[in-house]
Amino acid sequence: MSIRFEKVDFEYSPNTPFAHLALKDVDLEIPMGKVTAIIGATGSGKTTLVQHLNALLMPTKGTVEVLDHRIEAGKKYARIKDLRHKVGLVFQFSEYQLFEETVLKDVAFGPKNFGASEEEANEKAKRALTTVGLDEHYYERSPLELSGGQKRRTAIAGILAMGPEILILDEPAAGLDPQGAAQMMSLFRRLNTEKGITVLIVTHNMEHVLEYCDEVVVLDEGQVLMHTDMKTFFENEEYMERANINPPAIVRFKALLRSRGLDVPSDILSIEDLAGFLSRRKKK
Amino acid sequence: MKNVTLGRYIPLDSFFHRLDPRSKIIGMFAILIAVFIPSGWIGYAIIGAVILSCIFIAKLQIDFVIKAMKPMLMMMVFLFVINVLVIKTGEPLITIGKFTVYLDAITQTAYIVVRLVLMIMITTLLTATTKPMDMTLGIEDLLMPLEKLKVPTHDIAMMISLALRFIPTLIDEADRILKAQASRGVDFENGKLGEKITAIVSLIVPMFVSCFQRADDLADAMEARGYVVGAKRIRYKTLKFHAGDYVVIIVSNLILVGMILLWVYVK
Ligand SMILES: Nc1ncnc2c1ncn2[C@@H]1O[C@H](COP(=O)(O)OP(=O)(O)OP(=O)(O)O)[C@@H](O)[C@H]1O
Ligand SMILES: [Mg+2]
Repeated sequence: MSIRFEKVDFEYSPNTPFAHLALKDVDLEIPMGKVTAIIGATGSGKTTLVQHLNALLMPTKGTVEVLDHRIEAGKKYARIKDLRHKVGLVFQFSEYQLFEETVLKDVAFGPKNFGASEEEANEKAKRALTTVGLDEHYYERSPLELSGGQKRRTAIAGILAMGPEILILDEPAAGLDPQGAAQMMSLFRRLNTEKGITVLIVTHNMEHVLEYCDEVVVLDEGQVLMHTDMKTFFENEEYMERANINPPAIVRFKALLRSRGLDVPSDILSIEDLAGFLSRRKKK
Repeated sequence: MKNVTLGRYIPLDSFFHRLDPRSKIIGMFAILIAVFIPSGWIGYAIIGAVILSCIFIAKLQIDFVIKAMKPMLMMMVFLFVINVLVIKTGEPLITIGKFTVYLDAITQTAYIVVRLVLMIMITTLLTATTKPMDMTLGIEDLLMPLEKLKVPTHDIAMMISLALRFIPTLIDEADRILKAQASRGVDFENGKLGEKITAIVSLIVPMFVSCFQRADDLADAMEARGYVVGAKRIRYKTLKFHAGDYVVIIVSNLILVGMILLWVYVK
């Protein structure tokens, strides 16, 4: 089982003057059990792509396969609820979706919709809140009086509480302080390694891709420009050039060292490795 | 949500798009009044033909205009049912059991429906060819004489333009929140009454929160850029009539006069 796009086109407002082809002929297979980064310039179709995974958007052409679901263009899909239960999607600026009186109720909202009893839902909500680092002091507070970062955590907990098999995050770290962002990212990484949840992260932050992701999908104007594993992506300058991204600091630093005549192996991708390599060089 | 076409501006380049908003507003009112004059089928046929050719000149697609009428469909059906039940004059047409449908019920409904359709067509023509900002400028200018009566015309115009400005933003916002809640298992289409209410609440509350937040931000942003309520201000963009504008005003008013003549003399 995996996530598969087959010749998928998606058009916003078809047959109107506002028609816009946001995905063009997308063929893509995302492996289960990994953390995949989806990157690309603003407006390249990242949000549009991930919204296909829980049938918020239906392809105008082609098919999308997720777990045991198969969504075909132009056909009504009956098992949407089951799909949405298993595929948790956290929105860009998810903090604006909170609406219940208390944090706990808001987080328990998802599980309840999917048929959990009151107690079960509260139990799941509490566990999810602990996972995102909000303790019982927050349970009875109004979500509206939390800080932006805390709201974001609450919204993510709201999805985690549903117990998804696939977790999709649309720019989860945007607008958070660097430390908060790093905490979020390592949380997703942990969910993947500890619980085996498949994670898809839409992001603009290359440092995060380098540090927390296994695979990279690059979108460009609604098309898949490339799909490789993270190491290959950051080891090859021409890949990064083609994707038109600003490489992470470590990669830029390596390029600088190389331009001064120091031959750094390309598979070094962390500060520790680089420091180790440099000290070994010095000893020699 | 995205399919709301009523009142939406369509960025094209046509004779109507280039007109002064004031002449379009005046023209629209003239035709609207003409629609209300009981000038009979000939009159409506003339008005209909004129509006259709205007829509053609404005390069608008006819399905766009038809879509704008969708929200009215329920109302028309409702009207028809009421009329059929209530109006008992004219020739009896068909009898179903104890119940008879009379000719007048049909013609009355047809009259109202035709008027509604014409009204929607003409207002759509205005909103689809006029940028919201230009519309407000036009309204403000046309309200100017009321300034003497201490009517805060600028504030009214500002409120209208802000309201218009935020319609697309709010539609986008509603669309996003709808999707976010759908991802949490809310079913906006099916479900029992209780579930439906929860579904609506989960949309309305975040909408309110974000509206107030936006309003606050906007007020701050405007004040930060020196906007003072009630201060005297001048225009960056001034409106100017061209030849086409006079044509529109004259033609629309001629139609109005024609309809009045038709009503008085032909009937
Ligand atoms: N509701 C909509 N109606 C019409 N066009 C849309 C809509 N939403 C997005 N688009 C268009 O589709 C394209 C892809 O949008 P999308 O939101 O998927 O981009 P993105 O890669 O997520 O960008 P960002 O990094 O800014 O979030 C854009 O060109 C956008 O203008
Ligand atoms: Mg996006």
